[in-house]
Amino acid sequence: MSESAVSIQNLRFRYRGLDELVLDGVNLEISEGEFLVIMGANEAGKSTLVSFLNGLIPHYMRGAWEGDIVVNGRNTRDFSVPELAEDVGIVFQDFEAQLFSTNVELEVAFGPENFAIEREEIKRRIEENLRFVGLEAFRKRSPVTLSGGQKQKLAIASVLAMEPNILVMDEATTDLDPISKMGIYEITNKLRKREDMTLVVVEHDTEEVLEADRIALIKDGKLAQVGPAQDILRDSDLLSKMGVMPLGIPRFFEAVGSEQLPLTPEEGAAVFERQNLAISQEKYADLVNRERTGSEEKEAEPIIRCRGLSHTYPNGVEALKGVNLDINQGEVVAIVGQNGSGKTTLAKHLNALLMPTEGSVEVFGAPTEEQGIFKIGQKVGYVFQNPDHQIFSEVVYEEVAFGPRLRDLSKEEVDQRVKDALRAVGLEGFEKEDPFSLTKSGRQRVAVASVLAIHPDVLILDEPTTGLDYRGQRSMMDMVMDLNDQGSTIIFITHHMWVVAEYAQRVYVVKDGQIILEGLTRDVFSQEEVLNDSSLRPPHFVHFSNLLGNTFLYPEEMLSCLEGK
Amino acid sequence: MDIDFYIDSDTLIHRLDGRTKIMLFLASFIALVFFENPLFILPIAFLILLQNVLAGALVNIWRIRFLLFVLTVTGMLMWNIFTSGETDLFWFFDLESLLYSLSRTMLMLLMIISGLNLISTTRNEELVLSMIKLGLPYRVGFAISTALRMVPTIASSIQTISQAQRSRGLDLDSGNILERLRKFIPILIPVFISTIRDTNVFGMALESKGFGAKEERSFYLQMGMGRNDYLILALSFLVVMASIYLKILGLGSIPGLTKF
Repeated sequence: MSESAVSIQNLRFRYRGLDELVLDGVNLEISEGEFLVIMGANEAGKSTLVSFLNGLIPHYMRGAWEGDIVVNGRNTRDFSVPELAEDVGIVFQDFEAQLFSTNVELEVAFGPENFAIEREEIKRRIEENLRFVGLEAFRKRSPVTLSGGQKQKLAIASVLAMEPNILVMDEATTDLDPISKMGIYEITNKLRKREDMTLVVVEHDTEEVLEADRIALIKDGKLAQVGPAQDILRDSDLLSKMGVMPLGIPRFFEAVGSEQLPLTPEEGAAVFERQNLAISQEKYADLVNRERTGSEEKEAEPIIRCRGLSHTYPNGVEALKGVNLDINQGEVVAIVGQNGSGKTTLAKHLNALLMPTEGSVEVFGAPTEEQGIFKIGQKVGYVFQNPDHQIFSEVVYEEVAFGPRLRDLSKEEVDQRVKDALRAVGLEGFEKEDPFSLTKSGRQRVAVASVLAIHPDVLILDEPTTGLDYRGQRSMMDMVMDLNDQGSTIIFITHHMWVVAEYAQRVYVVKDGQIILEGLTRDVFSQEEVLNDSSLRPPHFVHFSNLLGNTFLYPEEMLSCLEGK
Repeated sequence: MDIDFYIDSDTLIHRLDGRTKIMLFLASFIALVFFENPLFILPIAFLILLQNVLAGALVNIWRIRFLLFVLTVTGMLMWNIFTSGETDLFWFFDLESLLYSLSRTMLMLLMIISGLNLISTTRNEELVLSMIKLGLPYRVGFAISTALRMVPTIASSIQTISQAQRSRGLDLDSGNILERLRKFIPILIPVFISTIRDTNVFGMALESKGFGAKEERSFYLQMGMGRNDYLILALSFLVVMASIYLKILGLGSIPGLTKF
């Protein structure tokens, strides 16, 4: 750890056609063999910074820039992206678009082929790297048939096959379920043990980066702080200020006034005992009872009811197998499960986008087949995962007015609804803006508003927080909870377990097209083994509380149940 | 959604060299294009369908049955409108024009099936490598294969986007033609934009994997011509020669046919 693998000096950059500086004077040295994590809010400049490392900026994306980036002694100014690929490998977030071969072996071969490596050597590299990421059993499979986590492992193998000594991961795990995410970080931890391998990782999820050497926090294009990972992760205030989610465990110990701030659940449990803290079982029983009475009141009126729901796609894939599910008026329900487990297929049945091939789905008392999408769409709104899959208008007003207009409402009524919907999502005054110029979180809000304007009673959100930073995730979910307070029933699909812990009242866990676990959030999160089996795991804080024998969903809950407080 | 036509199995046709399969595709075109009389097309039709059956690719013909049906109906109509003959049958159909439209429609369908035979049994990478070995520059071959690869991606985004818009109340099935066309705008714009975004990531991934780093490039995939390849090439050469010979003899055309 002495030589500098990457040296960034006084880097400034703005994209062509934009006035704002995305990077504003960044200086950073990354030593050989280091594991550096870059964190920060959306639009802070994280991806832009790492795009410089392999020359994608300035050679592929253009803009005005100054400064120097020296990688392995070569100034990226003077080398093309393909030339730098032998030094720097990069894995992107979008796992569909970065794989393009028809089988796993050929995908790994593609990089070395470009460098005219001999066939025998390519063969050796395929063997070595597929074994390294644990995909050797899939060598003849087509990448499209792999799960999300496997696709990212393949992307890593295909990049490692060029034998770079720097690996960049630009939000490579953002779209993955918790266990697949862990699988990727197991690989990075293995890579760390290679002394000459430098890792630069952009990540939102604080729990995944405990193993890092250093963390660099970026804010508004400037490096706000660079320091040892353990120190930065203990500083909850700093992380919040940077738009990064603080860890629950140190936050809890800070609140009880502890000197020691443990980071992992195991350390947490040990410190908890050592400091003679105790949970009042009386208060805990109280908490649990209040919750149960609340949910029993709601169970009186199920508004969506699935019985024996199965769905087989035309290509023969059985996506759902005999699902029973009830959604009650006014509830907040989370549907969770691995990539490809059938969550989205299930949710699409609830507003008649898909019809059951067996069994029944009843919405407000009548089977979906009898009502059809147009009628149900008015009662059950569906916000798709990717806002770019629905936005098409030039101004925000038109986009939000699209649904109400299709329902032949008067001009005044449409105006009113657009206004209300935009206020609900916090976009008042954005009527005349171009939706495509908004940030991801802004576009997500436009998508939600355009569904709200139809005035549905039930709102289904597919991964509402994916791709947003901590602040964006919070405000999205707070907004959803406001809608719930006003009477909407909420169903959301997510990979973010802390969102489930803090916002959902009830949870359905889907695995291989079946519901394998359902119940109140607390009860579901107390069954860690079943969750692990479905590629899920509760947030660290919940795991920590489980180690102590009770299930708490977030620090404030545990604080309120401490003995003698 | 899965609309990749490649069928991953190990048949006689799959084992042929990619170059052989490309040559077969070209040969079937040459052999077919000479004849106006459907009778002369039948033997070649038989060979193309035989190839399809041997490749176990009937399922792919079934998958595009709708397209084939539409082409058949429009083909039969159009070529009857634009040609005429001496023997009136009914309406604007004459015996000669009917035969001619039949042969043109067969030509069209058979070319599609012949192309389908090629892509059902040849991997994308194999196709590129074959084209390069036949003398095409690598970048051109790669561009063709990328275009083929884009089709399933675009198809699946069309599906997601039309679901999203339908759940907002878009009803594609009512209204007159003009109204219906206008309803496609909310689908086409997001498809267009998300395709551009995908292509951008694809381009970055491509360059980041060293695409074009060196003039020379190696290939992991191995290809070689075997005994079957030479046999089949010889056979298709004979068929093409026979077609040319028949054409020179003046056979295979329809006397009394007028084309506009």
